[in-house]
Amino acid sequence: MMQRLGARAGANRRQGPGPGPGGTSRSDLSPRDAWLLRWRGHSLLLPRRSLLGLAWLLLGLMMVFIASLSIGSMPLAPQRVIAALFGSGDPLDIYLVRELRLGRLGAALASGAGFALSGCLLQTLTRNRLAMPDIIGINNGATAFAVASIVALPMSFAPPMLALVGAVTATALTFALAGGVGVRGYRFIIVGVGIGAVFGALTNLMLARTSIDAANAAFPWTVGSLNGSGAGAQTMLWIGLAVCLPLAMASTRGLSSLRFAEPVALGWGVRVARLRLFALALAVICAALAVAVAGPVGMIALIGPELARRLSSHRSVPVLNAALAGAILMALADLLGRTLLAPVEVPVGIVTALVGGPYLIWILLRGDSPRAL
Amino acid sequence: MSEFEHDRAQRATLEASGIAMDYGHRRVIERLDLRLPEGKVTAIVGPNGCGKSTLLAGLARLHAPSAGVILLDGEPIYSLAPRDVARRLALLPQEANAPDGLTVLELVQFGRQPHQGWLRQWSEEDQRVLDAAIRAADLVELADRPLESMSGGQRQRAWLAMAIAQTTPLLLLDEPTSALDLGHQIEVFELIRSLSEEGGKTVVMVVHDLVSACRYADHLVAMLDGRIVAEGTPTEVVTPELVRELYGIDCRLVIDPLSNSPILTEIRRCRS
Amino acid sequence: MSAATGSVRFTRGLGFSLLALGVALCASLALGAGDVTPLQVLRWALGDDDGNVGFVVTELRLPRSCVGIVVGAALGVAGNLLQTVTRNPLAEPDLLGVSAASTTAVVIAILLGASVTTLQVWVAVLGAMCGCALVLAAARLRGVGDDPIRLILAGAALKGVLTALVSLVLLVDQRSADEIRFWTIGALAGRGYGELLGVAAPLLLGVLLVAYLSRPLAALALGERVASGLGHRPRLTRWLTLLAVALLSGVAVALAGPIAFFGLVVPVLARALVGPDIRRTLPLCVLLGPAVLLAADVVARLLVRPSELPLGVVTAVIGAPVLVAVVRAHRLPRL
Repeated sequence: MMQRLGARAGANRRQGPGPGPGGTSRSDLSPRDAWLLRWRGHSLLLPRRSLLGLAWLLLGLMMVFIASLSIGSMPLAPQRVIAALFGSGDPLDIYLVRELRLGRLGAALASGAGFALSGCLLQTLTRNRLAMPDIIGINNGATAFAVASIVALPMSFAPPMLALVGAVTATALTFALAGGVGVRGYRFIIVGVGIGAVFGALTNLMLARTSIDAANAAFPWTVGSLNGSGAGAQTMLWIGLAVCLPLAMASTRGLSSLRFAEPVALGWGVRVARLRLFALALAVICAALAVAVAGPVGMIALIGPELARRLSSHRSVPVLNAALAGAILMALADLLGRTLLAPVEVPVGIVTALVGGPYLIWILLRGDSPRAL
Repeated sequence: MSEFEHDRAQRATLEASGIAMDYGHRRVIERLDLRLPEGKVTAIVGPNGCGKSTLLAGLARLHAPSAGVILLDGEPIYSLAPRDVARRLALLPQEANAPDGLTVLELVQFGRQPHQGWLRQWSEEDQRVLDAAIRAADLVELADRPLESMSGGQRQRAWLAMAIAQTTPLLLLDEPTSALDLGHQIEVFELIRSLSEEGGKTVVMVVHDLVSACRYADHLVAMLDGRIVAEGTPTEVVTPELVRELYGIDCRLVIDPLSNSPILTEIRRCRS
Repeated sequence: MSAATGSVRFTRGLGFSLLALGVALCASLALGAGDVTPLQVLRWALGDDDGNVGFVVTELRLPRSCVGIVVGAALGVAGNLLQTVTRNPLAEPDLLGVSAASTTAVVIAILLGASVTTLQVWVAVLGAMCGCALVLAAARLRGVGDDPIRLILAGAALKGVLTALVSLVLLVDQRSADEIRFWTIGALAGRGYGELLGVAAPLLLGVLLVAYLSRPLAALALGERVASGLGHRPRLTRWLTLLAVALLSGVAVALAGPIAFFGLVVPVLARALVGPDIRRTLPLCVLLGPAVLLAADVVARLLVRPSELPLGVVTAVIGAPVLVAVVRAHRLPRL
């Protein structure tokens, strides 16, 4: 049996808020804006807005995918790109698309998804729409350790693992010093800002003290760039996403109650402390592995979830949509960075900061309570 | 009334025995015993800092006592599964603020969370309970309004509707009417009364104002410095001596002929 | 009665700060990366003339210490002013992006081919002024000004954008990249009287402003309405304060680059010593700022001899625990 409640509810909603004289017609109290599926005592409530948003994002992803593979120093028509993807057509096209551009696009998509997923989780945890791994020190910790490996050793030694260690170190420090993510999310954020500054200073120190060559080798690590990402790091990130994203999606029901005051969530029987720690761990892993691929790219973790929230039901935490939006944004930023000042390539981190920073400031100055999720 | 019938059958007992509670390093409650009368409205009163909110937090499984035990249906509440507790005990904390843009209907839906699962996201039972809760709180007209656009009293009623939708025999409220004006206070208290009288719920509330507590509670628990100093029906418990002990004021008591509850008159500060 | 104990506390605090400054100055003169040992410096001070030692102390360490004193005092006072005017205990030129704005202005000026002398100061001041104006705009907004976190996040965002800009400049212009890279961390090395002379004008202007502002700011700390009631003009006070902050942090940036967290540490120390009244904390910041900065500089010189750490790294490591302590304090205190 299947019921469709959405259409009627939507029509009701359009009457606008406020109790009118015709209030009796509004007595339908079923969940709004959702498709309800019921079958033999089981039931699913599918938020219509989120699913539509998902469709839009998938469409966008496809367009960005083709565009990224087409545009470059040697432009290809979309048809040729598609042909080359499936292994037919000019061998040179196939080489260009499959060997050169696809790897880089994969890095962009995966790291964008990782950052945005991390941001989405952190924002839910701290109940602050502006929390993100680049501001609260996770990215800086990962970067410092990765740079240390590049600067200290002749070859770069397993940056993904070191980035992970660095991110975990920074977060653990923040967590311990702030006394948990706890009731006061702001404490966690500010302490994170401080820890991040220390790690940032250490990174700068290492760069200032090494030879120019090593410093140049480590430069992508300081601004965020897709230029030097290794295949190993990318594989790790894809594995990480394949694990973290389903886990995060499975806990959305609990996560959405974290947006309320702690006692409220506890009153609903949510194991708040455990869930927070779990989500924090996912956020750290995603951010660290993404840093290992792309360096500390900022602002994707802010704009991705923000875009996803616009395209999703505000009742739940849009984990999947945020990851997709982040992937799209990252690929777009990389595309911009490659084409804007060509032949000079602007690192993707600079693009996102220059575009995202003003956006963040605009959110802050707009003044309509950005604290609430 | 029919709206409450489905949970009339359920009953749950809540008692504290020999509990001590700390806030940081400070001992707030010392060796306290309390048994809540079933199906009645209990009000916990006392001066600021007497430990009444801490006691409520302990009873609601928010803040574990450092000694003693709190029993829900005879089982220690802190060793029960949180979800299990949430099906028997609903809580309305003092600063319950919701994410922006959440409507009344959506908030009340959240109250069903302890009864839901991955393959049971919105059953017919959920829908029935939701309807009943919104009707009980008289919010049908306001169901699609975002919480932040409503008056304080309406918003508090929405939160109560959420707690009602949790269909628990026990309901714990921390200062449900703080920051509300007189009209909204009465709006909320009357709803709480009806929950107990018609729905058979056991209600425990921390109340700041002694007169409202006398008027709307069946059972009064007066606390001072982490101890219970008096307990019983309002007419038994409230005496000029108790008022002086709790709040340091002298007064005379008159029984309100309509509600049969005590009223304080000739209030002045204690000179001793 | 409380006034009396307050003034005793103030005198004590003042004495302590003076002592601290003296010790730090001596350490700064006596210790260093070079071969000259403290004992030799002592002998030189007692009249046992050794040309080499005299040269190291008067020509290398003294100018550097003087720059340190000016930078420390300027940043300490700027932090104190910024915290008072935004009523936010975490406000600080570096965290709020004022230093970053100033740095960006200088980097752009260098890119455009400016020389490293007098022009730089005014460029740095101008940059700081833009940063300050943004901070004030943010702090004046309802919901931002009374929320310390949002202000800090806004600052972090501004800093992110500006850092990206600087990175972009570095990318485009490899020529000056190396020089800028060291300078953007903050350092005292290689600065001397010449640079000090260059910043004299804005510094003097800043000092005069601060002297004028201490009374109206003390009133403003009680709230805007009260300040108006006491006959002050809050708007004017606020703008002038930001001008002073811009001048002072511009001077500091021009001399030593952005120094992380410094403006946070000093006012916290000062308030711990003499309480919240800005008329008392300001003079203390003037003394404590240089003391802390010189101490940090000595650490920076000694830790990795014979080379030295950038000062910004040392202050970040000192400052982060202070930040944590402020945040961990029971509630975020409102200023």
